[in-house]
Amino acid sequence: MKLNFTIQPRLRLNFSPLVWVLLTLMGIAFIVAMMRYAFGIGAISDLSYSYPWGFWISFDLFTGVVISSGGFLMAGTVYILGIEEFKPLLRPSILTAFLGYIMVAVALLVDLGQPLRIWYMMIHWNHTSVLLEIGICVMSYLTVLAIEFAPVVFEGFKLNKWAHLIHKFIMPFVILGVVLSTLHQSSLGSLLLIQPTKLHPLWWTPILPIMFFISAIAVGLAMIIFESSLSSRYFQRGLEIHVLDKLARALPIVLIIYSLLKFGELAFAGDLRYLFTSGTLSVLFWAEILIGVFTPILWFSIKKNRTSPAALLTGAIITLLGMILNRFNVSWLAVRHPDPMFYLPTFMGNVNYFPTLPEVAVSIGIFSAGILAFGLLAKYFPVFESEHKTEETPQPAPGLQPVITAADD
Amino acid sequence: MTDIKHHAYLFDATRCIDCRACMVACSVENNIDMDKTRIWVAGIGVKGEYPDLQRGTMVSHCMHCEHPDCMSACPVGAYTKAEDGPVTYNPDLCIGCRYCMNACPFGVPHFDYDKGIIEGAFIDKCTFCPQRIYNGQEPACVQTCPTDALEYGDRAELIKIAHERIATHPGRYIDHVYGEFENGGTSYLVLSHIPFSELGLPALPETPVNEVSEKVMEMTIPFALGWGVVLSGVAAGVNIYNKKKEKASAEEKVEETK
Repeated sequence: MKLNFTIQPRLRLNFSPLVWVLLTLMGIAFIVAMMRYAFGIGAISDLSYSYPWGFWISFDLFTGVVISSGGFLMAGTVYILGIEEFKPLLRPSILTAFLGYIMVAVALLVDLGQPLRIWYMMIHWNHTSVLLEIGICVMSYLTVLAIEFAPVVFEGFKLNKWAHLIHKFIMPFVILGVVLSTLHQSSLGSLLLIQPTKLHPLWWTPILPIMFFISAIAVGLAMIIFESSLSSRYFQRGLEIHVLDKLARALPIVLIIYSLLKFGELAFAGDLRYLFTSGTLSVLFWAEILIGVFTPILWFSIKKNRTSPAALLTGAIITLLGMILNRFNVSWLAVRHPDPMFYLPTFMGNVNYFPTLPEVAVSIGIFSAGILAFGLLAKYFPVFESEHKTEETPQPAPGLQPVITAADD
Repeated sequence: MTDIKHHAYLFDATRCIDCRACMVACSVENNIDMDKTRIWVAGIGVKGEYPDLQRGTMVSHCMHCEHPDCMSACPVGAYTKAEDGPVTYNPDLCIGCRYCMNACPFGVPHFDYDKGIIEGAFIDKCTFCPQRIYNGQEPACVQTCPTDALEYGDRAELIKIAHERIATHPGRYIDHVYGEFENGGTSYLVLSHIPFSELGLPALPETPVNEVSEKVMEMTIPFALGWGVVLSGVAAGVNIYNKKKEKASAEEKVEETK
């Protein structure tokens, strides 16, 4: 076994400013997390009896999971539907998903009251709990993603035989991965089904799981476009415009189905009257729909926007912003807990939850770690190459050299 | 009091004088800090213009629902509903996810936000004083109540008493026993002279709020299996189709070279 360490010396603290920034943010998050472990969640967050879930759940869990949906979309498209054209997007998407879910897990270790008991979910099952389903699915899917990503690591270490072996038996894992993703992407919506009295009727509907799954597809497509555009800039590689064009063409279709279901359901439930009468919540609803649904439908329907790299990136960012706002609305902004009355004990007093700086710092630190990990893995492992290429070139990919200098600038 | 088949409370808001002795009794009995009390007194205070004054006070603790949402939500099954009424929490299983706090429509479960990882942060809520009720005593809050605003007994009997009281004093009460049907029924029943919403009690349907999510959960495994079969079928179909296509193109090539 011959490991290639020729690029190792470059690791010696020869970091670019971006890396320093990321490391600093991670350090801050680490200190804050240690404070939380020592003094409790209340010491660093604004969470209360009225608002048990806040920024960590909205950002790390809801947003983190949904932006990782590109992994199962691409795995399904390439392996199950056999559309080889999308292969260049497969590995980066799987890596994004893998890191995304690890970030979710790390964030939950900060958020849980008993983080050391997270594995209890594997042995103590309450079959009626949506959260159990999500826990089991996320844990299993992390394993599946590790298997799907393993060939890249093996190829990086020149263990092509092992990579081949995994590749041979990948199909059952891909199918399992798609099933698990379908389940937990939709279950994140089911998580809120138990709050019909707390979640605003503009958002609460029995079809929340379906809405969540459809929007996860839209976010997955947008995320692949977003991430391909960024990595083509930072890693100086070509942009697969004709492939991205196809994804961009699918986006409006998904979003039209989404909006038809959304407004159809509102009309069916008789909730249309809330569209303009709920004050701030109406504004938030329209912001989410206009930014995340209507604008992308129009934007990506124009051919010019689908073929220009800058327009593709802009459209993807707009979609992501709107859809992330949707996740924030559903899990935080549109949730109204029972109002405490004026002479409740002080501990109940906080119904106006707003995240504190340390709380946000934890999320940002974890996110920075994800970005750094993506950068390092993409730099030293064949993430942006299809398998066949690396098989033919035994030396470290020739593209690696300019990549390193580019990232170190 | 061994004849009680289904333990329950009855709270009469017209009798409550807001003395909060129940809060003290609870914290003494269960040895918990006053600022982390499992029982809290809330309400609208004094309303109206002199001499037409009205006060509304609500003593809140766990409603001990017949179909508890906390129990439905808890991923690790830390909650149990006893057949004879009490909903209890087991800290040995709790992972601290706080989903029960989200699920409970009454905002009952409380969490140790001030505890670090070594002490362990747990949920706290009313236990129905098992150490007392299974030894023939009333729960601490009920025994302390000086005006009998809080009463304890068998659920069916308390409902009967409540309806009788409404019938005897038609002008005094709103003709409704909160908790008889709300959220699928609760073991904490409330009588009031002012609208229940002013006491801070949410308007709830007769079906428990966990109904939809439990139905969705029931469909999960059949759906997962079906979806898995469909995907396998598609994968196999595509595989066969692609192989045929490859074969055909290979044959074409052979013919061309001939």
